Amino acid sequence: MIRPARGALRSLLRESDLSRGRLALSIINGSAALGSAVGLSAIAAWLIARAAGMPSPADLALAAVVVRFFGIGRGLFRYLERLASHETALRGVVSLRARVYARLAAAPADTVLGLKRGDVLARIGGDVDAVGDAVVRAVIPLSVSVVVSGISVGILGFLDPRAGAVLVAAILVAGVGSALLTWRAARIAAAQGVAADARVAETVLSALEGAAEHRVWGTTGAAHDALADANAASERAQESQARPAALAAAVQAVASGGALIACLAIAVTGSQSGMYGATTAAMIALVPLAAFEAVGAVPAATQQLFRSREAARRIVAMAPEAALASSPASPRGGSDTAAEGPYANPSGGFSVTLTELVAGWPGAVPTRPVTAQVEAGGVLAIVGRSGIGKTTLLATLAGVLPPVSGEARIGPHPAHRDLLGAVVGMTAEDAHVFGTTVLENLRVARGDVTEVEALDALDAVGLAPWLESLPRGLDTDLGTGGDSVSGGERRRLLLARVLLTPQPVVLIDEPAEHLDVAGREALRAVLARLTSAGRTVVLVTHHLQLTDLADVTVSLDD
Amino acid sequence: MRPLDPRLIRRIGPARRYIATTAVLGLAMALAILVQALLIARALAPVLAPAPLTEDGLRWLGVLVPVEARQLAVALGWLGVVVAIRVLLTWTQERLAHRAGARVISELRSQVVAHAGALGPRWAASGEGAAVATTVTRGLDSLLPYFVRYLPQLLLSATVTPIMIVVVLGLDWISAAIVIGTLPLVPIFMILVGLTTQERSAKHLEAMQRLASRTLDLIAGLPTLRGLGREHGPAARVRELGDAQRRATMGSLRIAFLSGMVLELLTTLAVALVAVTLGFRLVAGGVSIETALAVLILAPEVYLPLRMVGTHFHASADGMAAADSAFAILERPVAAPGGHAPAPDLTGATLVVEDLAVATPDGRRLAPARLSFQARPGTVTALVGPNGDGKSTALSALMGLLTPDSGYVAALTASGRTDAQDVDGEGWSRQFAWAPQRPDLGSEGRTLSLGQRQGVALDRALGAGRPVVVLDEPTSHLDRASRDAVIARIVAAAGAGATVVVATHEEDLIAAADVVVEVAALEVAR
Repeated sequence: MIRPARGALRSLLRESDLSRGRLALSIINGSAALGSAVGLSAIAAWLIARAAGMPSPADLALAAVVVRFFGIGRGLFRYLERLASHETALRGVVSLRARVYARLAAAPADTVLGLKRGDVLARIGGDVDAVGDAVVRAVIPLSVSVVVSGISVGILGFLDPRAGAVLVAAILVAGVGSALLTWRAARIAAAQGVAADARVAETVLSALEGAAEHRVWGTTGAAHDALADANAASERAQESQARPAALAAAVQAVASGGALIACLAIAVTGSQSGMYGATTAAMIALVPLAAFEAVGAVPAATQQLFRSREAARRIVAMAPEAALASSPASPRGGSDTAAEGPYANPSGGFSVTLTELVAGWPGAVPTRPVTAQVEAGGVLAIVGRSGIGKTTLLATLAGVLPPVSGEARIGPHPAHRDLLGAVVGMTAEDAHVFGTTVLENLRVARGDVTEVEALDALDAVGLAPWLESLPRGLDTDLGTGGDSVSGGERRRLLLARVLLTPQPVVLIDEPAEHLDVAGREALRAVLARLTSAGRTVVLVTHHLQLTDLADVTVSLDD
Repeated sequence: MRPLDPRLIRRIGPARRYIATTAVLGLAMALAILVQALLIARALAPVLAPAPLTEDGLRWLGVLVPVEARQLAVALGWLGVVVAIRVLLTWTQERLAHRAGARVISELRSQVVAHAGALGPRWAASGEGAAVATTVTRGLDSLLPYFVRYLPQLLLSATVTPIMIVVVLGLDWISAAIVIGTLPLVPIFMILVGLTTQERSAKHLEAMQRLASRTLDLIAGLPTLRGLGREHGPAARVRELGDAQRRATMGSLRIAFLSGMVLELLTTLAVALVAVTLGFRLVAGGVSIETALAVLILAPEVYLPLRMVGTHFHASADGMAAADSAFAILERPVAAPGGHAPAPDLTGATLVVEDLAVATPDGRRLAPARLSFQARPGTVTALVGPNGDGKSTALSALMGLLTPDSGYVAALTASGRTDAQDVDGEGWSRQFAWAPQRPDLGSEGRTLSLGQRQGVALDRALGAGRPVVVLDEPTSHLDRASRDAVIARIVAAAGAGATVVVATHEEDLIAAADVVVEVAALEVAR
């Protein structure tokens, strides 16, 4: 795995176009809110001390107003800060998400097609949000805590430099100490907690999904014991990160308590020795009570910083900036989606030729050499048992993966990733059904699919009765991820989509998996229509029955 | 959603003990905070007073902190002790909270998993069943912030706040009146804000979730789009959806943060009012400086736990929701299939399925519908039919794993006919050797491919020596050679006297079967 560059979080935050103005506004409002609390305690202390000397009530009027202002200020500024910081972060998240998407879209197809769906979702979903959280929950609170601590230290230092020095030392201990301890706890959590959680998830799934099986085989007790073990491991991991976390809380209590005692001593002795009057003494003694609230946010902010950093590293590892660089040896720079683009073939169709082709992902066992040719308008079936490298071979034909040796040709061109989309269309085994209407799902193949074409394609794959059962026909929303579609319907929908793709060469991975007899008939009809339009089909499958649909069959088995 | 779910206390031992300990620690903390405030007031009062202090400004609370504490050295000594106690309490509470939180999560997880397993395959196939795994892993994990942050503050607001009010009342009734007067305003205003904004925020929330799921859906389809050369279109759409989502989110936050503002505004303003009132009364000689200092220091402590509850509420809401759904599962009654009579020995028995029907989870279809067949010892019976028409469900019913909606599963033995529903379910099920479609082989099985797992499961089923062998699509994911070998082994198992029932699409296996049964589903008329 490529080790992401240091400062992944920093570079992603830079990329999210955070507005400096908004960021500053958030920090100012946040500082005003917590500063109000410090101000309230300082002026209230002054007010009480002054009042104890029994002056005329008019002498207290201004202080009384200021105290009330600080009383209102805290809530008000906090509200403004929360709005400003969330707005800043959300804008950043939107920018970043769009950029990461664009990066992935522009990345070489092998980067994208090699990604698991869950990973893409987690990175662009949760992880981008986590980078945004760094703004709201780490950058702003930490900045605010520095500003407000500075204000508190400034007040005390102005009144008595010794008190200022005590406070600055205590705040540093509380802030830096708790930050270091929290960082340590977070590292332990990342190292042990993640593994423990994975084990818990695994045993939970085993106990739940295998419940009926465990009942038949009498292994229910064993499954529950495995879960108990995983739970215990997870508790141990929790325990080892709780230790530094608890110490962090204790360090804060020690520092604030120490500052309180020292400042009280300074205030009383200073006043007794006549260094300053009652009001100054009261402020020196009472401000430390409010001064530690700001630094109290440090542990949570540190934890968030760690979490965001991990998320940023994952994003960078998945969609590295280098991915933007265009691929070398590209016949033409951009990728054109139109079939009649730069790769137009005068003969009207594309043959597919495999010459002693060996395919394999780097580091994996390559396939055996394969030689086969199918003319334009023919069907080539690549068969073989599971795990022999059928999908790998298909990826090589798509140009996503360079051949280990030998050659793959699409018409006159060597297979190349730039052909993907222009000449070659590929449908993976786990192709996505989008959470939109039936029609829009078919338009994934081609943006200008008409309703008539859509109905025709659905009819060809035997989905006409299904379509009739839908409340709004072609305009029925299929729900997120096509959740409401059954496995068989999903396969057929994907076949209808294949039928509507414009590319002259069609690659399909395991089109018959979990299809029943009627579904296989639909597949036969789809292949017939594709080939009669002069399009070339390559399909990979472990179902040997499908070979009678093919003009040429090549086996990867030894 | 209640702030403290009574079921947590009733059903989860570690939660009960933790709450009790935390309440005690909270009381100790309240006492420490109180003594600290009184000590500061004692030590500072002589410095601020224009004339030597004559009376005891702390009145009956002087019992806690004697007048001697007006000497700095005495006060500082005691303060040192109090700070040490506070540090110890803080540390203990944190340690306990993490430990208890982790224990409660484990306990709840184990209970839910055990119960969910007992609820059977039909419930597992329902929407609620499908969500169990998420609930007991990621869902329950979010209970930790609830235990570590929210719950202690909730208990503090139930202990510290009333104690502080009583103390302030003992010191100065006018300040106490201000505090008591503003305190109820906090919940009242928060409820008012909540009520007036509920509808709007629900609408915002819905829009937000819809937009978020659309964006994620678009992203999830990226590899698919890439395969068809259509990946560039959605980039603008991702930004568009994101901007719409941001606007919706900000709309809902503007409202959601209002209640937080009301909370902070009321509590801080009340403290300010107490301070100002004390100031003017000091001038008029209506209150002693010692009393005034003590009240000034204690007033924010009355509100602090309330403010913290508000701060941590959102972080813990997820955990509460997960606990809620966990308890909902635990409260679901288990309808174990079977009765109490001992199960008959199925060796040499003929299994009879009569008019069997099982409704799908959504209740729209019967799959299978009106299924009847007999499976004799020494033969292979093949269940065939389209995907989703209930072959696997029929196998589950045969093994006594679920109770059919109508029809019977029975065994014909030398001693007559016995219905599966009337006998001990476990005893019935344990006589079957089953290789399901997606076998679970524990943690070691997860490293194997589906094909390999199926191989292991087949070996286990065919080698178990149980009277009935049940195989669900035993030849999928296999190449020709292995498939022929598996079919031969299945036929051999029947030859050795076992009753073999398979569900399959495989033509060669169907050809090798002695009896072929067509399984069909039926739409339920509405």
